[in-house]
Amino acid sequence: MSAWHEEYLKRYAQLKERGRSFFPYAVFKDVIVSFLLLCVLSALAYFVGAELGDLADPTDTTYNPRPEWYFMFLFQVLKLFPGRLEAVAAVVLPVLVVLFLFSLPLIDRGRERHPSRRPLLTGIALMTIIAWGFLTWKGYTSPLTNPIVEKDPLVLAGHRLYQELKCSYCHSIGGQGGLVGPELDKVVGDQTEEWLGKHFRDPQALSPGTVMPKLNLLGDEITILVAYMKSLGSGPFTEEAAKLFNENCTTCHRIGKEGGDVGPNLSAIGSVRSKSYIKSYIEDPSRANNSSSMPAYKGQLTDIQIEDVARYLASLKGNK
Amino acid sequence: MRNNRRLLGWLDERTGLKKIWETLFARKIPESKGSVAWFYTLGSACLFVFVVQVITGVLLAMNYVPSPDHAYDSVRFIDKQVFLGHFLRGLHKWGATFMVVVVLLHMLRVYFMGAYKYPREVTWMMGVVILLLVMAFSFTGYLLPWDQKAYWATAVGANIAGQTPVVGSHVAKILKGGEEMGVATLTRFYALHVLVLPILTALLVGIHLFLVVWHGISEPPEKTNRQIESN
Ligand code: HEC
Ligand code: HEC
Ligand code: HEM
Repeated sequence: MSAWHEEYLKRYAQLKERGRSFFPYAVFKDVIVSFLLLCVLSALAYFVGAELGDLADPTDTTYNPRPEWYFMFLFQVLKLFPGRLEAVAAVVLPVLVVLFLFSLPLIDRGRERHPSRRPLLTGIALMTIIAWGFLTWKGYTSPLTNPIVEKDPLVLAGHRLYQELKCSYCHSIGGQGGLVGPELDKVVGDQTEEWLGKHFRDPQALSPGTVMPKLNLLGDEITILVAYMKSLGSGPFTEEAAKLFNENCTTCHRIGKEGGDVGPNLSAIGSVRSKSYIKSYIEDPSRANNSSSMPAYKGQLTDIQIEDVARYLASLKGNK
Repeated sequence: MRNNRRLLGWLDERTGLKKIWETLFARKIPESKGSVAWFYTLGSACLFVFVVQVITGVLLAMNYVPSPDHAYDSVRFIDKQVFLGHFLRGLHKWGATFMVVVVLLHMLRVYFMGAYKYPREVTWMMGVVILLLVMAFSFTGYLLPWDQKAYWATAVGANIAGQTPVVGSHVAKILKGGEEMGVATLTRFYALHVLVLPILTALLVGIHLFLVVWHGISEPPEKTNRQIESN
């Protein structure tokens, strides 16, 4: 036992002797605080409530969830650690924090308890709180947190119709669904909106002998289905996409006049390749082409960044 | 009046009620002056929110079905059909947020006051484990409504766990109950959320509170260490 331990126990016994009875002295305050909490809690539950979003859709890989607000900072931290280092931010750092907390009483064993007498630990905690607040604030104010979250209402409606009409009986998206018809996310990127519209109106007219049924869809329904189909091909992308391309790809690829010629010119890649093909190619070229000399970017760029660049490229149809 | 006293006496003789009351409630604690005393209410606030979560959770479980085919509809049913169901969901959902916030605040008060020091080290360590359990509650509960947000937030979480060096892919697989998220994931999370975690938490909170009473609550720290006063 350290020298001060015995002394502490004696002094504590003295303080206790001269102290107050837990009930009602402390219990009174406890009850007030809990009651106030209950009031705020009920008000939030009643006026704000808990929302229930759309049914989970495992095929919709573009859905980007926002974390609970108290985890928002972790999202921001992840952005600071690109590629392989993400594991450091996501796993190693939190584990270190927990280990630090757990062993704190073994690290800080001195007698001093007042925060001003433990400036280092007090400082660490204050810095952590400030950093947490700052990152949370950044997370909510920076527009690029979730570039792909914005969803076109037409696309959402089309997606719902796709489910209602049970298209997945014949088609698959993201590897889920039937095999009678083509895998839509792989092929529709190649079709124009006009072609898709006509095809929905009368599949036989464009693909004689097809088993795809004529569904007698309304004009509106065709519009939203086409929007959904096109969203599989590509989708909204951010300004960051072009920047990422310039930073990573222009040594080998050309878009318009800019860039190198080690790899193919990508100015019109969107008219020959679907987004999912492009995405998979960026992630790992050897999947589609085992004599590829292009580096794989999975781990180098984050999944969101790859999705972003792939959508950008899929939108390039060579008309610029 | 006399009958009451006789009843109490009868009970006390058989249960030790008076002794229990004296140890738990009529015990003496060091006096804390002014507003500092209010910081000491955060621990009991944790307990209060936890009890709210248990009660609302049990009520939710009466209508919830833990299968991917029915989970969403059952939550919708609670939301739209069950009497006060929407309010109930709101309570449990906001209670979860409160739980995290209040437990963190309680931890901060203990941290800043250096109340984790001798002889209360183990009280603190139990606390850290409880904190992890609270996080686990939050993570497993998030999936249960089986809506888009639930599904994809969990997918992201599992992916993050999957990045752990060396053991990552195994951790992710154990979490998901297989390669893909689906039936196994949901039933697994449900079992954790309503059976394993509550039992563990109740146990650890029990130990935590026992230790708090055993050592007595710490006195507010002072800038200078006073010596023992001779009386
Ligand atoms: C009975 C099976 C069947 C059903 C149901 C079905 N399709 Fe098809 N679909 C096919 C087949 C076979 C093809 C390939 C031949 C063709 O182009 O028609 C096809 C082709 C397509 C194409 C063109 C793909 C391309 O780029 O070549 C699209 C787009 C499409 N289907 C969308 C849909 C949608 C949306 C639905 C739901 C409203 C649907 N299909 C329902 C069988 C089906
Ligand atoms: C070291 C040079 C190099 C870099 C850097 C590079 N690529 Fe490539 N890329 C190639 C070459 C060479 C090919 C031709 C086929 C092959 O060898 O893989 C190619 C092929 C492609 C294709 C397939 C085109 C098709 O029609 O099959 C896409 C898409 C692509 N690159 C995108 C990108 C993107 C996006 C980046 C930046 C993130 C990038 N590349 C960076 C060299 C490169
Ligand atoms: C469900 C969660 C928890 C409950 C119900 C709970 C409950 C309590 C209660 C009622 C007290 C009495 C003093 C006070 O209210 O401040 C207390 C003290 C204490 N708690 Fe907790 N606690 C929880 C979580 C935690 C956590 C996460 C930590 C730290 C990591 C922690 C560490 C401590 C310590 C060290 C004390 C002794 C402080 C002293 O003697 O001044 N507790 N706890």
